[in-house]
Formats: sequence, C-alpha cells, structure tokens
Amino acid sequence: MKKTQRFVIIGASAAGSSAAETLRRYDPTAQITVVSDEKITYSKPLLSYYLAGKLGEEQLFFRAPDFYERLGIERIHARAVGLLPEKSTVELSDGQKLKYDKLLLATGAAPRFPKVEGIHRDGVFGLRKLEDAQGILTRLPKTKRAVVLGGGLVGLKAAEALKERGVDVTVLIDSPHALSQMLDESSARIFERIFEQNGVTIRTKAKPVAVLGTKEKIEGVQIASGEVFPCDLVVVGKGVDPSLELLEGTQIRKDYGVCVDDYLRTSVENIYAAGDVAQARDVLRGEPWINALWPCAVEQGRVAALNMLNKETIYRGSMRMNSVQFFGVPVISAGLAVLTPGPLGGHPGEHDETLEAQPVPGIYRKIFLKDETIVGFVLVGDVEAAGVLRILMERRVTIAPVKDELLELGPDLGRVLPLIIENKERFVEREFQELVHTVGV
Amino acid sequence: MERLFCDPRRCVGCRACEIACAVEHTPSKDLFVSVLNRELGPPRRRVQTVGAQPYRVAIGGVVLSLGCHHCDPAPCVDACITGAMHKEDGQTVCDTDKCVGCWMCVMRCPYGAITPKVKAIKCDLCPDRREKVGRSRYACVEACPTEALFAGTFEEFQRVLAEPVTAVWEGRQ
Ligand SMILES: Cc1cc2nc3c(=O)[nH]c(=O)nc-3n(C[C@H](O)[C@H](O)[C@H](O)COP(=O)(O)OP(=O)(O)OC[C@H]3O[C@@H](n4cnc5c(N)ncnc54)[C@H](O)[C@@H]3O)c2cc1C
Ligand code: SF4
Ligand code: SF4
Repeated sequence: MKKTQRFVIIGASAAGSSAAETLRRYDPTAQITVVSDEKITYSKPLLSYYLAGKLGEEQLFFRAPDFYERLGIERIHARAVGLLPEKSTVELSDGQKLKYDKLLLATGAAPRFPKVEGIHRDGVFGLRKLEDAQGILTRLPKTKRAVVLGGGLVGLKAAEALKERGVDVTVLIDSPHALSQMLDESSARIFERIFEQNGVTIRTKAKPVAVLGTKEKIEGVQIASGEVFPCDLVVVGKGVDPSLELLEGTQIRKDYGVCVDDYLRTSVENIYAAGDVAQARDVLRGEPWINALWPCAVEQGRVAALNMLNKETIYRGSMRMNSVQFFGVPVISAGLAVLTPGPLGGHPGEHDETLEAQPVPGIYRKIFLKDETIVGFVLVGDVEAAGVLRILMERRVTIAPVKDELLELGPDLGRVLPLIIENKERFVEREFQELVHTVGV
Repeated sequence: MERLFCDPRRCVGCRACEIACAVEHTPSKDLFVSVLNRELGPPRRRVQTVGAQPYRVAIGGVVLSLGCHHCDPAPCVDACITGAMHKEDGQTVCDTDKCVGCWMCVMRCPYGAITPKVKAIKCDLCPDRREKVGRSRYACVEACPTEALFAGTFEEFQRVLAEPVTAVWEGRQ
C-alpha cells in the first residue's frame, strides 16, 4: 500500500490555503498540516475595507471559516521557529516538532518600516495583519489627524479608509508622484487629484525623518525639509519584505526572496516556496522577481502543491499588474512600461510608442508598445477590456493589425481572435484550444 | 461538465441570446416588464465578430456568441480576494453577496467574460432553470433561432462541428 504522505505548510494565507486545497483535491489520504501564527485565515486585501467600516470581521473570510476542518487538514496556531532540512523537521513556538515529507514555505511578507527616529512608537502601524487594522480602529476615537507614510496601493487605501472614518489625512510620499510602483506620472496625477478633491492632502517628494512625540502619544511627523505634520496616528505603507526568518541556518538559497525554480522548488530537496516570499519566474522581466500579489500567491500555491504531489507542473511566471479603486474610481494597470524608470531593475519605462485616449471625461486609457507588442497599459474609469489586453501582453502577441483600434477595444475577444489563432501555440489552455478549434472549422 | 458552445457556422449574429440572457437575469424574467421597469443588466454572453469590432459586423464575417468558458483552473477564481468567485461542481460562479467589486477577476479573465457593474457579472448557467431539460435548460440556448448554441461537453460539441450544417437545417424542416 502507498505510504501516507506528510505535507507541512507554513503560512495559511493566499498561497498556503490554495496549496492545502490542491493537495487535498488530489490526495484524499495525505496528512496535511498548516501552521500559522495568525489565528484565522482571512483576506489581507480586504483589510482596507474593514478599516473603512465597509466590511465586518466576519466578512473577511475568503474561504469558509471551517475550511481546513472540512478538508480534514490540521491547522496549528503557532509560529514556526526552526527548520532542520537534514531531519525533515520544523520546530514550532509551542515546542512541537513536525516531520514532513514535503514542506511548503508560504510565509508571505511583512511591512517595511523606514529607519527613522521614533518609528517604533505606540501609534505607528503597518497594515498587513488583522491585528494592525484592529489596533488602528482602537485608536480611532482619539485620532483627529493621521499621517500615512508611502503613496503606494496599501498606503493610499489606508488613507482613503481613514478619511471615510472622518480622520484628517496627509499622505507623505518620497517619490515625485503617488503610486509609482503602479502608474506612470500622468495617470498617477489623476488619482492625486481625486484624493485632494476628497479632502486628503498628498505631499510628494516628502521624505520623513522622524516620528515625533512622547512614549504614549504621537505628535507629528517631520520631513527632511524640517516641516512637521502634526498627527495622532501614523500608518506605514512603504512596501513589504519577504519573511525569510525560517531560512536562517539552512542551505536554502535566497536572493531578495526565497529562490525557486520553474517548479517552485527551493534549492533544498523537498522544500517548496510560494506567494509573497518566493522569488519566481517573471514573464516580463526575464529574471526572477516577487510580484507580491494575491492572484500570484494563489496560483503559485496551486502549482507548488501539484509539484509536491509529483504532478510535474511548470509555473508560467507572474507579472506586474494590479486592480484597485480609490474613492469609487477603478484603475487597472499592468506591465513594466507603465513604471517610471527607477531603481527597480528589470526594464521599467521601456517602450517605443504610447497610445492614449480620453474618450469621455472620467475615462482614460493608455497603452505602451514596444516593437508592436503591448508592454504596459493603464485603464482608468472603465476597466472592462483589461483581461484581453493583459493576455495579449503576457503572450507577447504582435498587435500591429489592430493597433488603430486598440484603445477602443472592448471586452470582446472577437476582434483579436485572429491574432490568437495565428499564435495558437502560445495559448495552450484547454479553453483557448477549444475556441481556436471552434473558429477554425 | 456541461458547458455552452457556439457553432460559428450557424450563428448569424442576431443577438437573441444576449437579450434572452439579460431578461433571464431580471426579477420578472419578462422582456416587456423588464424594459418598462429598467431591470435589464448587461448580457453575460456577447455576439462577437472574428477579426472586427462588434456592432460593426462585416457582412460575411464569422460571428459567434461567447461567454464564460468555466475554465479549470479558472484565472478569475485565483484572482478573487473575497472568495466570491469560486468553483462549484465544475462551474465558475460569482457569489454577488460577497463580491466587493475590486475587478481583480476582470483583470485576469482572458476572455473578457466578466462585466464590472457594481458586482462582477458573468454567466451563471441559469440557476433558475435547473429544473428544466433540453434546449430550455439555458435561456440563451433556448432563444437561439438557428440552434447555434449547444450545451454539452466539448467532445459532444466536436461531434456537432464534424457534421455538415445542412443536416441540421433539414432536420428542422
Ligand atoms: C491592505 C492590503 C491590500 C492589498 N491589496 C491587494 C490588491 O489589491 N491586489 C493584490 O493582488 N494584492 C493585494 N495585497 C497583497 C496580498 O494580500 C498578498 O500578495 C497576499 O496576501 C500574499 O499571500 P501569501 O500567502 O504569499 O502571504 P501572506 O498573505 O503574507 O501570508 C503569510 C502568512 O504566514 C504567516 N507566517 C509568516 N511567517 C510565519 C512563521 N514563521 N510561522 C507561522 N506563520 C508564519 C503570516 O503571519 C501570514 O499569515 C494587499 C495586501 C494588503 C496588506
Ligand atoms: S470568467 Fe473568464 S476566467 Fe473565469 S472561468 Fe469564465 S472565462 Fe474563465
Ligand atoms: S470583483 Fe468580485 S468576484 Fe471579482 S475578484 Fe473582486 S470580489 Fe471577486
């Protein structure tokens, strides 16, 4: 009889849950254990909705609260504190030692705090965990003014949420414009204006140097110019770093994150990694990268699990993309060309042609091309065509025949179907193959 | 699993499926009532012209009606931050009560099969017709005057595609 496999997963969020679900789907008898230092499994992107009061705590579940139980998966609430690959063992904070046949590192990432004076004062929060949001909410009754450090997605979502709670918010941004990891300057300006119109102050090129105050009370944030922004609360949204503590003392290769190959295996046998912690193939950059995104974490969790089950599955690679709404205005952006060239590596900004249109007020579209292929796009206000543009970009299809209509492209696939049929070897998914076959007759 | 397919040889681009779909997803399920009461939402299938923008139908071009493919694995399900978009017996279903309208799924669906309108709107395989059988099981299939829309597995649909079209026309006379 086949030996029962023992799978251990560290981290029970997007990547961990998706892996656990996949392991169970294909191996009904395996012993699966998930370890998390967080009591419940919830959706991190929903934290800003929770902070704004749009969702209650019980609405943060992206899987049923008894998801693990129902699948016969053990979920241990503890922190993994040691990893001994030579003994195939993980040590937990409660003293337990877990033996594994295959291990998945899905430890995600943690907020990056700038190294400025006073950053560890009470009243300075990241926004990554439910307890962060709860901490902010507890302080809310005493908060008139807040400063958000960082103009990225998480910083601005936090600013919006606090504003909706009636707090006066100032966002301090190092870069020349907001959302510099997501939008080009002119698209970003649209959102800076939207924030200002909604009463949020945005200050760019403002580098914080100190969080001022006493032990119990925050008084303000000082920036490099000496100017002080008085406040009672600080939220830090300056990006995240992969959680690599468990790698200490092991031979597991790391760069910025845990290095994984196209099967999401680490350099040490029987250990895999997925999600925000894993530096995996990036389809646009041509070098491994972390695209710390929910969909990537879920897909990587599934692919890692399939490989842990010896169902050899190649990870196609992730890419930079995001979808978000600020004060009701949606934006989807994808690709590298959208980004201002900066210290990020890869090829931000690279393009040789830009298509741009504002068909009606409130709708803005921009597509970046290089050698007649899409290398980035921004859709503001009307995002319906995003998926179709994204797949053309991801599969590097030459769009020359439809270039004149690209900006008007709706969600309909019909217009570009001939391009897909022409490049059908790049559209390997069963559903695309069926479609190609159907139209081909 | 049963899914919906369109035979481009039979589709004439009349958009009866679009109307039928929009009407099916109204409280009244009646064309006239739903127009009068402004209940109509977006259709969850769209008639498309291969190689041309829709509604600029090239006469003689290939047209077909497309909607959600109920992919497995489904990119939209991976993307969903609330768990609203999920798989259920092979179908891809959006629980609109949970949906927060973040459009992650719209960004990921490569077929443009999701309409972002407050909630993610997509083909739900007509849950209110579960009791029905034959062509009336799905509103769009029932409405298609040329029987271009087909419900079944892809293997079954391939057999349809292998038959000459005339046989079907003759069969109806
Ligand atoms: C406010 C906010 C908004 C966001 N918005 C978006 C968005 O709009 N779109 C998008 O794509 N992404 C968004 N993200 C990012 C998205 O949430 C992440 O990409 C995703 O959660 C990554 O999943 P993961 O499973 O890899 O890691 P994580 O979600 O970070 O989970 C890792 C888990 O492992 C636990 N853990 C770590 N180390 C240990 C250990 N040693 N022992 C036990 N447990 C451990 C952690 O506590 C955590 O629970 C947002 C994130 C935040 C915080
Ligand atoms: S909505 Fe799109 S991605 Fe999701 S199952 Fe349907 S066709 Fe596939
Ligand atoms: S729009 Fe709704 S269904 Fe789509 S990803 Fe967001 S929550 Fe999920």
